[in-house]
Amino acid sequence: MRVVIAEDSVLLLDGLTRLLAAEGHDVVGYKTADELVANLGRRGSSAALPDVLVTDVRMPPTHTDEGLRAAIHLRSLHPALPILVLSQYVEQRYARELFAGDVRGLGYVLKDRVADVDDFLEALARVAAGGTVIDPEVVAQILARSRRTDLDTLTPREREVLGLMAEGRSNTAIADRLVVGLPAVEKHVTSILTKLGLAQDADDHRRVLAVLRWLDQNPGERA
Amino acid sequence: MTTPTTAPPGTGADRPQGAPAPAPDVPLADDVATVAPAFADPRALLLAPVTPATWRGYGQAAIGFPWLLTVFVVAVTAFWLGVGLVFLFGVGLLLLIVTLLAARWFARVERARLRAQLGTDIPTPTYRRATGTGAWARMFAPLRDARSWVHLGYAGVAWLVVTLTWSLGIGGTGWALALLAFPAVAGIAGLDHPDVPLWFPVLIGVVSLWLAPVLSQALTLLHVRLARPLLGPSRRDLDEARVRAEQERARAAEDRAAVLTETRTAAVGAADEERRRIERDLHDGAQQRLVALGVELGVARRTAETDPEGAAAALDHAHREVKETLAELRDLVRGIHPAVLTDRGLDAALSALAVRSPVPVTVDAGEGLDRASATAQAAAYFVTAEALTNIAKHAEATRAHVTVQVLDDGADPRLRLVVSDDGRGGAAGAPGSGLDGLRARVAALDGSFDLVSPAGRGTRLTVEVPCAS
Repeated sequence: MRVVIAEDSVLLLDGLTRLLAAEGHDVVGYKTADELVANLGRRGSSAALPDVLVTDVRMPPTHTDEGLRAAIHLRSLHPALPILVLSQYVEQRYARELFAGDVRGLGYVLKDRVADVDDFLEALARVAAGGTVIDPEVVAQILARSRRTDLDTLTPREREVLGLMAEGRSNTAIADRLVVGLPAVEKHVTSILTKLGLAQDADDHRRVLAVLRWLDQNPGERA
Repeated sequence: MTTPTTAPPGTGADRPQGAPAPAPDVPLADDVATVAPAFADPRALLLAPVTPATWRGYGQAAIGFPWLLTVFVVAVTAFWLGVGLVFLFGVGLLLLIVTLLAARWFARVERARLRAQLGTDIPTPTYRRATGTGAWARMFAPLRDARSWVHLGYAGVAWLVVTLTWSLGIGGTGWALALLAFPAVAGIAGLDHPDVPLWFPVLIGVVSLWLAPVLSQALTLLHVRLARPLLGPSRRDLDEARVRAEQERARAAEDRAAVLTETRTAAVGAADEERRRIERDLHDGAQQRLVALGVELGVARRTAETDPEGAAAALDHAHREVKETLAELRDLVRGIHPAVLTDRGLDAALSALAVRSPVPVTVDAGEGLDRASATAQAAAYFVTAEALTNIAKHAEATRAHVTVQVLDDGADPRLRLVVSDDGRGGAAGAPGSGLDGLRARVAALDGSFDLVSPAGRGTRLTVEVPCAS
């Protein structure tokens, strides 16, 4: 798999490069967002695109959110380019900007998760395969901000499952995480979607989107 | 090198303003205490014949009687002559103008006389200026000036009051003494007074001896009460002066408020900037290092069994990383607030700074630095830290010197810090720089911040903050 990493911290870029190289990936590293856009930001050059792009949010020259803006820009040029955004802080506001369009092949996780090498590699593989990965902290922020009173009708277990759904996990992954059987998870999911009035959908991506949109809505304007 | 005394505007050099001059508003009660204490204090009433005020009043009357009488005669002559001659080719007008100008001179002399003899301070009035610029307007201005006419009025009535003071006070006392001496005189002369007992004139004498000074004091008070409005500024002028003084005070308070607002905003801004710097340092430094460390350790654990050599290398890498992160955190923490400053004071903290500086630094710390507040000491510490950092980075100096002392010249002891070097000079403390942040911090403490850095001749930074800040 060809991976492009944009990260201004030399140490971390170095560590990630060695980690991914050891996993047998082909890694190219860029140290600024400008460098990243200069190399990937050409229209119609999808042949030269990597299988997945990993980018930091805060990078030179302004050290604010150029990584995120570069990701959104590249995404608009290459809608099929899978991007995993790493950030020292995950903010729901940033997530909303990033996930405004198609959520397929998009990930947004806390940089600290990188230290859990197995989780990081799994997240990377999921994004590269077109899945969606949203950091639990972002989901927690969205849940905390959601003014939906319907949430109160969920059982604690169902809320937990809803959170994992919002993180972009499949039923199988949720079953693994909660150490329960797949049928139990399916039952919870059906119950949640029924209680919240959302369409039953087997497709994970559309489900993530539906859940996120629903959480973001005001209780009055039910879809 | 001379010590600079000026500071740029808008810095802490703006010291708190002293109280503006009080309004020229003399309470009338003061006159009672000064010239007629008998009416303010029962004891003084009883002792009226021997009160100094009585004798000052007699002195005033003794000189004032002939003086004011003379002035009255001259003034009344000149005035009526002037009025009488008004229609004679304007000669009368000229005479009146001269009289009025002389009245001003007389008023000045009379105010000085009253001040010298009675101790009453009557302020100088302001006279109406010519409204036009022409010679005529200037010439006739005195005629239109109410104050000058009022002075003339004083000359018209003051002789009456002083004559009464003279006759009732000095004359009365003389009469009393004569009565008291009567028995003795009668005895010597061998006069026989079957109708009047000898104790009667003595009794009248005693009462007169007491009554004369009391009357004298009352008349002197009347005199002063007349003089104040007739020789001094008009009530309107006094009111205006009071309003002006109040406006002055209000303006001073506003200026002070503006300075406080400005320095407070700058201080809050500097604190914010400091927080952003700390966040940046932590984000770019320790946080990145720790994430990288996590990756190294993750790799080591993942490859421990399959690739022991690689795992060992990753662990080695991680170990180095930990040590560097610790060193970086230590520097950062010290930059936030050095423990030695809290534990051992400014002297020790400055020495620690000097030791860490790549440029040789000598520290000269005065006695009694602990009299400065923790805030003042911290300000001195951070100014020194920033200055030494700048010297190491930019000054190309061979040595630097730090002097810190408490300047105690009475009410407002100040902590004074001087950091100098022999480098290339030209330091400016641009907006947004570390030095600029410290300037704001010092200004917020009502301190002064002075940077002198001529090109090629070293840099000298002088900072003073109040010890009590």
